[in-house]
Amino acid sequence: MWHKISWRLLRQELKRGELTIMAAAIVLSVTAVLSLSLFTERLQAGLTARSAEFLAADRVLSSRRTIDPSWIEEAESRGLQTANRVVFNSMAFHDDALALIDVKAVSDGYPLRGELRTGEQPFGDDEPAQGLPAAGEAWVASALFQELALELGDVIDIGESSFTVTRVLTYEPDVGFSVFTDSPNVLINDSELEATGLIQQGSRVRFNVLFAGEADALNDYGEWLLPQLNEATHDWRSVEDGDSALARSLRRAERFMMLASLLGVVLAATAVAVAAQRYCQRNYDVVAIFKTLGGDKRQIQKIFILHLFLLSMISIGVGLALGWIIQATVIGFVAEYLGQTLPAAGWQPYLLASATGFVSALMFTLYPLLRLIQIPPLRVLNRDMTGSDSLQWLHWIASGGTVYALLLIYSQQWMLSTALFVGGALAAVLLLVVGRLFIRVSRQAGMQAGSAWRLAMAGLQRRAQANSVQMLSFSTAIMLLLLVLALRNELLADWQEQLPDDAPNYFVINVAKEDVDELATRFEERAIESTDLYPIVPGRMTAVNGVPVVDEVTKEAQAEAGDKASELREGFGRELSLTWRDTLPENNTVLTGSWWGDNAEPQVSVESEVAERMRLQVGDELEFNIGGNVFTVPVTSIRSVNWGTLQPNFYMIFNTETLEDFPATFISSFRLDNERKNELFDLFRPFPQVSLIDLDAITEQLREVISQVSLAIGFVLVLVLIAGVLVLLAQVQASMEERQKELVILRTLGAPSKLLSRSVSYEFIILGAISGLIATLAMELALLILQTQVFDMDANFHWRFWVIGPLAGAAVVGTMGSLACRRLVRRNTAQLIRKLA
Amino acid sequence: MLIQTTQLRKDVQTTDGILHILQPIDLQIAAGETVAIVGASGSGKSTLLSLLAGLDLASSGDVLIDNVKLSELDEEQRAKVRADKIGFIFQSFLLIPSLTALENVMLPAELAGNRNAEQQARELLGKVGLAERLKHYPNQLSGGEQQRVAIARAFVGTPKILFADEPTGNLDSNTGHKVEDLLFEMNRESGTTLVMVTHDNTLAARCQRILRMDAGQLTEDQQHVA
Repeated sequence: MWHKISWRLLRQELKRGELTIMAAAIVLSVTAVLSLSLFTERLQAGLTARSAEFLAADRVLSSRRTIDPSWIEEAESRGLQTANRVVFNSMAFHDDALALIDVKAVSDGYPLRGELRTGEQPFGDDEPAQGLPAAGEAWVASALFQELALELGDVIDIGESSFTVTRVLTYEPDVGFSVFTDSPNVLINDSELEATGLIQQGSRVRFNVLFAGEADALNDYGEWLLPQLNEATHDWRSVEDGDSALARSLRRAERFMMLASLLGVVLAATAVAVAAQRYCQRNYDVVAIFKTLGGDKRQIQKIFILHLFLLSMISIGVGLALGWIIQATVIGFVAEYLGQTLPAAGWQPYLLASATGFVSALMFTLYPLLRLIQIPPLRVLNRDMTGSDSLQWLHWIASGGTVYALLLIYSQQWMLSTALFVGGALAAVLLLVVGRLFIRVSRQAGMQAGSAWRLAMAGLQRRAQANSVQMLSFSTAIMLLLLVLALRNELLADWQEQLPDDAPNYFVINVAKEDVDELATRFEERAIESTDLYPIVPGRMTAVNGVPVVDEVTKEAQAEAGDKASELREGFGRELSLTWRDTLPENNTVLTGSWWGDNAEPQVSVESEVAERMRLQVGDELEFNIGGNVFTVPVTSIRSVNWGTLQPNFYMIFNTETLEDFPATFISSFRLDNERKNELFDLFRPFPQVSLIDLDAITEQLREVISQVSLAIGFVLVLVLIAGVLVLLAQVQASMEERQKELVILRTLGAPSKLLSRSVSYEFIILGAISGLIATLAMELALLILQTQVFDMDANFHWRFWVIGPLAGAAVVGTMGSLACRRLVRRNTAQLIRKLA
Repeated sequence: MLIQTTQLRKDVQTTDGILHILQPIDLQIAAGETVAIVGASGSGKSTLLSLLAGLDLASSGDVLIDNVKLSELDEEQRAKVRADKIGFIFQSFLLIPSLTALENVMLPAELAGNRNAEQQARELLGKVGLAERLKHYPNQLSGGEQQRVAIARAFVGTPKILFADEPTGNLDSNTGHKVEDLLFEMNRESGTTLVMVTHDNTLAARCQRILRMDAGQLTEDQQHVA
């Protein structure tokens, strides 16, 4: 019988809209979690796929030696696609000219991700390439056409082989971003490799095997492969590694989405908690009546547990459907916007969303439900009886535990979850204390105000206990909203700064010293914005503190070094681009030591990651060899470099006095819009030795990813906003019931409805404004921590939010309060009295 | 005796010390009797009713319902006694707002596991003149109609005892009289024992016995003949 009663109660209450807030809260938590996780998962997969193009694969295994063919067979047996890529430096000859080139010999299937593009004209239009160069053919980068004065159909000699140049190579997904070391590329088929005679013992060759396939298969294969790799010679890479601008943007975006989603989940859970409390309070009378009519506790327990279970199930179902629809719509929009489809997500988001809804509904109602079941039957005669609240501690444990569990389930990072949870708990206590204080102060201020204000202030003060709890949830909701909004602005601004519309899209290298001034003049004449011209002196780093650097730290090398074995360092294995400069370049920060200023003694500043990898410190003596000239300089500073900026960046910067007498070429980057591309030829005609590197492809890719991520962030923001509004709504609704009795009395005593609705509105406006102010304070603190600790950004003060916070709080909470109150005030007194009876 | 109390007391602890709400009360009510408990507000009438119905526990003394000592029962067992033997009517009707008139009346029978709940409820609602309003919710009914639903609900389990707390207190006098008539008529038909708390002397006068409550002391009007 009990299940019939339970079902009937549910059906009728649903029909009459009495469970709307509770159901909406559960629906929202499920919708938010599902759409967020589906969306992030799919977007993440899409972004990873897109960024995989930078590697031309999902994973790359690279080594200086040939790679064990059995590893490739194993990968293929696991259903992975593979392709070979062998890269080495060589010289290309044509007529009497010669040039240093990067040869890339690739096998069928290359590139596994992204596409090759070729054209008929250097720096001209291009189209996706069909297949790969055939035997005896080579595809050659635009820059080499310039350097060797090539035309299509010409023959170039590389090693012992000759190749006919059949296409202009305009875009390789894995072109890399190392401006100084890369010479123009020549792409050949790997079947031609042996005939060149260039791959011999000791030649400087990089063997790469590219892998692509399902994420699971790749991970499994990675686990199988890693133990067999030699750390010194093998390198196993995926897109997420590395410090490219893209990888960093992705990591930041991922953290933001994770954090925003977590906050969204917490907000939705808060809405469930507030609604659950109210849900149980509404049923106090029902339970008392049940008990009076002879219902026993167990029966009542079953009735309400089933009631809640059914409500949760229905809400979860609706939430899942809604979440899927929202996510599909947004994805559809994104796909249309970006002209690509995103891969489908797995089943985990559905499970996660259902679990969130169920866990929130169950855990947040646990205590209110226990209390509900304890309601004494005597309440039918004495309406003030609400049972004992001796189990309050259980409520805090259950609610706190649930929030923590949700954070943990969602983020799967216990550090982040714990930090957020502890921070949140501290903030809650702070908010409670500050809120009470504000209410007390505002009461005194209100004594001087007009009657509606006075009534409002008196109301605030009287309900201080309830109000400070309400203020807590208002503040939390507003704070989280402001936080997500501010973070989003910060991230977007940061990316914008990295990739401004006028970001350079060409690097010009190999500018001779005597051409520097003329090139600068030509840039100026054509109003082309360029960075400073940096001198480049090629040189090798040969020793650190008197111990020579080695190509590879092998056992033989260690044995040879004897007691200095521990000081052996692996060098760069190639010439470095050294530069000199008086001032610290933009986007560089000295971490230790100091910049030289006027000190003319020879010295060098080292980039921080190189310093870390080679265990270099300020004071170490570095030996360099520049064209046979060997000299030693002390390290006087370690610098961090923002590699995301499209400007020339350097590992080693010397003071001017040290390097200026060495022969140097110069490098610069500049911006030229696509429609002015045809000016390039003219611009550089007087400088035949100059090479150009086109960055458009890379910046375009980065831009696309950023716009995708920005869109995603906007979507997350909207969901968090809805969650926030729902919390506010649930809270206003709950507090309205407490106010009913008072309204009835005041109405009966003849208070005009205008006065009443004004006083209630004012009360909510004050509550909202104070909550907004506290929220802004809390947001500013939270943002300070997040920016510096999580997002690796500089902290700053957000003065605008100090205006927006209180104003928005007052407006939103005030409006919702007034609307909710208007319904009450509109009813006539008799109706109200009957409702209360 | 259907209802019997011996030395029934109720004290509550207040900040000013112990407050004696009920002085020791000895009371016997036979099956089929109609009894009114009258007195001023705060005299202890409702407290006595709550103890007799097992909604609350006495500080000392006993209540026996159909020879079962309530003080020896836990809350669950007392609920069972109410389900089997007792019906209620309250001043504020206490209908469940989200259930229809029919569902409200069915409720006690269903809680007691009665399979004919709906049939009985329909008959009773017919008897109280609400056959046409079965599907209405309490807020769609007038006060008098709501109280008639409450009366139907009180009789649905064919209780031996009916406790009524100011049953007409929330109604205008015209509606109040109609509800009174209905209550007494149904009571007569079913032979139920009626214990009614009221401060309406006219209503009390329709009962066979009148008990007066004054500052926790109970006395019986000896001259009264209904």
